[in-house]
Amino acid sequence: MFSTQLAIKASVQVLQKLMPSAEGGRGFSFPPINTILRWKDVTPGINKVVIISILSAVIGTVLFLVASSKDARKAPKGSRNLAEIIVEFIEKNIIMETMGKSGMGWTPFLLTMFIFIYLCNLPGIIPFIQMPATARMGVPAFMALLVWVVFNATGIKHQGLFGYFKNVLFPPGVPKALYVLVTPIELISTLVVRPFSLAVRLFANMLAGHLLLVIFALLTQALIQAETQRFFLIPIGILPFGLLIFLTAFEILVAFLQAYIFTVLTAVYIGGAAHPEH
Amino acid sequence: MRVHVTTLQGDLVEVRVSSEEATTSGEATTTAETTGPNPISPEGKELIWGAGSFLVFLVIMRVFLFPKLKKGMDARYNGIREDFEQADATRLSAKTDVSKYEAALAEVRAEAAGRVDKARQTLDQERSTKIAEANARIASKRSAADAEISAARLAARDQVAAAVATVTSRTTQLAVGKSPDASVVQKAVQEAMQSGARS
Amino acid sequence: MEALTRIAHVSARVAAELTPAELKANSAAQMAGLAYGLAAIGPGIGIGMIFGKAIEAMARQPESAGMVRTTMFLGVAFTEALALIGFVAFILLKFA
Repeated sequence: MFSTQLAIKASVQVLQKLMPSAEGGRGFSFPPINTILRWKDVTPGINKVVIISILSAVIGTVLFLVASSKDARKAPKGSRNLAEIIVEFIEKNIIMETMGKSGMGWTPFLLTMFIFIYLCNLPGIIPFIQMPATARMGVPAFMALLVWVVFNATGIKHQGLFGYFKNVLFPPGVPKALYVLVTPIELISTLVVRPFSLAVRLFANMLAGHLLLVIFALLTQALIQAETQRFFLIPIGILPFGLLIFLTAFEILVAFLQAYIFTVLTAVYIGGAAHPEH
Repeated sequence: MRVHVTTLQGDLVEVRVSSEEATTSGEATTTAETTGPNPISPEGKELIWGAGSFLVFLVIMRVFLFPKLKKGMDARYNGIREDFEQADATRLSAKTDVSKYEAALAEVRAEAAGRVDKARQTLDQERSTKIAEANARIASKRSAADAEISAARLAARDQVAAAVATVTSRTTQLAVGKSPDASVVQKAVQEAMQSGARS
Repeated sequence: MEALTRIAHVSARVAAELTPAELKANSAAQMAGLAYGLAAIGPGIGIGMIFGKAIEAMARQPESAGMVRTTMFLGVAFTEALALIGFVAFILLKFA
């Protein structure tokens, strides 16, 4: 009987060695994902993500309010310069490259979309905020739905209900026999995959970036605060910290790139619906 | 992770490893519910507030701010374009002025060249006439001198002939005692002189 | 000798005594890693090819660099979507 007790004690010790507990502060454990992503309500119905998305709209509005109230005849500088750079970026690099001159009427829509998404992405790397609003599905899902509604409405407005769906479902220039294959694919890709991939692309990019930052921040903390006999582990914490800095810089690029890609794809979808020959 | 060890009756031992997360007191600071719905499903309030703020932003931009900004930009661009056009016009007029001036300059230059040519021509003419005159004068002087020389030579020759005739008639008179016929002496002198001149 | 067999016995029971939910979470976590790893292969190759070809095109015709860049980002976006769907599958398997 005694030997059994001994064996149990030994195996329990082995197991505890193998699986370091989370509560002792030793070792590294990743918190459950909802701890990272879901935020407590500040006031009922408003949490951090909500505040970020409201602030994005407010900051964008203030930027353009200040910019447009400046004297237009002078050479632009400061906020007006920034606003004009963004407007010209939208016009030259997004609309002219995808829709051509006829798409200039979409500038305010795409401009607003770009600024809103970029400002929602950016808090992911701002210290002490560090939560991109687009890493929650709410904003991307709404934007993708809005784009879906807008490009379908544009198509119906420009080609008529019948003409639009004829162009979408039976693309011209395809052999008749292939329509059996092409029509279901086009139906799914245009009406289902487009909004889904738009939303998922933005959301997953920002979520992945956020998780990476969290992982390397936690690794740095765990290594620096490690209560270990092997003291050489502590300076090793500089390695995940360096990668954390690098990833933060990378996330700035990703935030811009995702806003840009979302806007370009919106422009492509709208342009394709308005002028199907392109 | 937790390891539960419970001893049941006899030597039957149950060891359970459960993955229940202990409520970590240190980490649950700013977080909400640790358990909750799927992390991918959109949260109602976030969707509604995000949609609302975006739509308000869009309306403000579409109706007020963007047209105002765009109008300013267009006005400035048009101003700049007008300035450019003005500059182009000014440059064009300046260019025509320059070409006009250059045409006038060329005209003047051609006239001057013509005048210079004409002057040179008249000068050349004058000079050639003067040279011709001088040549004529020199020629006439030379011919006069030549005539004088030949006359002098003839005169000298006559004198010589006369002197020779006198000498000859005298010597003949001395030798013969009678003065020879003048015509014979003259003929002889002339023959001698001609043979002397020939030899 | 008896003690050793008992330790082996206990370890075997440790493995066997996971509840069905724990077992499921275990295999889901393994599958999640596998899913994302597999989903990243194709898009990784694809994005590499897209960037390579775009650089080639820009080097051949620098005057069309703007158009090439826009099209390149479109292609990257479409290709990357596959990897991101894999990432979403990872999140769903691991945490949902």
